[in-house]
Amino acid sequence: MTNPTQSNKKIRKQFEPLFAPRTVAVVGASASGTTPGNEFIRHTRNFGFTGKICPVHPSAGEIEGLPAYRSVAEIDEIVDYFYVAIDAAQVPAVLAAAQGRVRFAQVMSSGFGEVSQGKELERKLVEAAKEGGVRVLGPNCLGVHSPRGRITFVGGAAAEAGQIGIVTQSGGLAVDMIRRGETRGLRYSGIVTIGNSADLTPSDFLEYYFADPDTGAVGIYLEDVKDGRRFFNLLKEGGAEKPVVLLIGGRSQQGRRAAVSHTGSLATDARIFQGLADQTGAVLVDTLEEFLDVLLAFQLLRPRDDRVTENVVVFGNGGGTSVLAADCFADQGLAIPALAAEARQALDELKLPPGTSIDNPIDTPAGTLRHEEGRIAERILAAIFGLSQPDAVVMHVNLPVFLTSTDQRIDVIANLMQAAARVQQHYPGQAHFLVVLRSDGAPATDERKRAERARALAMGIPVFDELSNAAAALAGVAFHEKFRRSRNREPR
Amino acid sequence: MDPREILREARDAGRLVLDEFLGKKLFAHYGISVPKGELIQDALQLRRAVKALNPPFALKLVSPDATHKSDVGGVKLGLQDAGQAAEAMDAIAAAADRLTLKVTGYLVEEMAPPGREMMVGGISDPRFGPVVVVGLGGIFVEVFSDVAFRICPITGLDAQEMVTGLRTSRILRGIRGQEPVSEKALVESLLQIGGEGGLFLDLADEVSEIDVNPLIVSSHGAVAADVRLVLHSRKGHDESNAKQ
Repeated sequence: MTNPTQSNKKIRKQFEPLFAPRTVAVVGASASGTTPGNEFIRHTRNFGFTGKICPVHPSAGEIEGLPAYRSVAEIDEIVDYFYVAIDAAQVPAVLAAAQGRVRFAQVMSSGFGEVSQGKELERKLVEAAKEGGVRVLGPNCLGVHSPRGRITFVGGAAAEAGQIGIVTQSGGLAVDMIRRGETRGLRYSGIVTIGNSADLTPSDFLEYYFADPDTGAVGIYLEDVKDGRRFFNLLKEGGAEKPVVLLIGGRSQQGRRAAVSHTGSLATDARIFQGLADQTGAVLVDTLEEFLDVLLAFQLLRPRDDRVTENVVVFGNGGGTSVLAADCFADQGLAIPALAAEARQALDELKLPPGTSIDNPIDTPAGTLRHEEGRIAERILAAIFGLSQPDAVVMHVNLPVFLTSTDQRIDVIANLMQAAARVQQHYPGQAHFLVVLRSDGAPATDERKRAERARALAMGIPVFDELSNAAAALAGVAFHEKFRRSRNREPR
Repeated sequence: MDPREILREARDAGRLVLDEFLGKKLFAHYGISVPKGELIQDALQLRRAVKALNPPFALKLVSPDATHKSDVGGVKLGLQDAGQAAEAMDAIAAAADRLTLKVTGYLVEEMAPPGREMMVGGISDPRFGPVVVVGLGGIFVEVFSDVAFRICPITGLDAQEMVTGLRTSRILRGIRGQEPVSEKALVESLLQIGGEGGLFLDLADEVSEIDVNPLIVSSHGAVAADVRLVLHSRKGHDESNAKQ
């Protein structure tokens, strides 16, 4: 038996040409420059790709300023990544002609297994790929977004690589994950879209991300998992080590119908996925929002083996918001219990103005937060972290209340965020710390929110839009921690 | 009797749904408690069989034509003696006759000790293969859809979590002065069906569907009072993933 490190290295090496290709070939780009193939070349160059890009075209001399080749056989180097965006019927012949000179082909073309008349063609594609010695991503997919390898199918993405690995059956959702995820602070070790997964499957990439030392957590969007058994076994093996977040499409009858025409999926009782989650520690989420929020939590918070997140202290401004937060955390199975006596006493001694509630949730109106020239926030946080032992602390700030106030003598928002920074440094790892920055959507508010979010992220503090988002993220972490603890205790 | 022989017997008879008698034999082989009982053909055999059993008895029609026995008047419960059992057999025979159902025989059994009625099932998912299911038994299972699914093989902890995760698990612990029943016995039954070396994985190439409803869970144990077992049609089996 090979040891796990060795086999991990082998898996990482096997997929290296896909995530960090040196030679990329593109068939389907045109001299007129309006096809997805052209887009791919431009986006990838703008992303800072330094390898060789070889357009393949039957007649054009130059595409995107690059010399064109008649076929992949004419290219001197082995092609690591072959981008294929031509008429579906022509794809099998192109793959069969690869003759071992192409490592991975990413087939963007649709018209395969997702439509009834394309099923036979998909079978042919798989055969042709075998004949040509090529592994296939897709068909019906957008390809790979890899900050590390500097290839992408979108424009304007952050070039900074991170620890979140994604595999998704939907390319459109991949674009959302890149854009919305990046706004939230998510940074990726890779995003792979697999479309119909005729050859390479979600399991192949789950195995890759588990083996990849750059990946800390994995997010998966699926409508169908053809090798379900392998998928289950992989999750069972590695799901306790690296957190996995699962978003399943087609959970309802009508969603299922949509999934069949989207990627040609086969029906599995959706309730099985909840079972799978319970058996493997993967966090099952319902929406894209929740998917991104939970992944952000896993990017920045370290799940614990010995202590499951149960007790949360919520602190911020807004009485009704605090009450709704208490309800929302309760729905997620998280408690907002009374503070420890010492902490409570310390808060009492601060002699906060009337209207302040020092019970958990701690509600401090704007006036209270201006107290002591705004230094009060740090004292409150210090009492929570130092004298109570919560599993998590959530600080929420209703930004427009401070931004639109006529009293601008003190920058309360800055004070709160500085206080957050200091407790984060002073009590590292003691409690999961999350910040909620609530905006009214006005341009000035959003601008401030962006700036504060960037600062918080730089300190390793995840930021969420609403308390419900933070609650869902924390519940995901708690679910995973609970799994780890229960499985650690289980006698083998 | 070897479980594979039982299955071959059913297939040889051209049947994909095991009759209750054979189904229970199969369950017993994997350690799942089934009521003590006998397959009989006539009144004489019935009288002899009843002598060896403790009342109350249950008498059930065994017929390849009736998958839902109670719908056709094929189940009589709470029979106290040989006389009542004989009357019940006549009534079932008459009902079967009216509906022109083929009668393979009758299953006479001791009634399981009273307890909470649960449902334990198994399905062959086209993607995940054998999957085990637990929920509240009886007719309410569909209304409340309070069921837990797990992919086989399940561990003891999986089985435990399946049970405690049910919204209705409280009724196992006893509400309003009811005696609590043995969760351990329910967990054990789940493992005997869906665990490593359990019925479903051991026979995954043959069995496509399992339905134990009710599994009667009392404070002493769990008894599979009614079982239904469906085999893969050979064509379906060759196409499916479930072999492993």
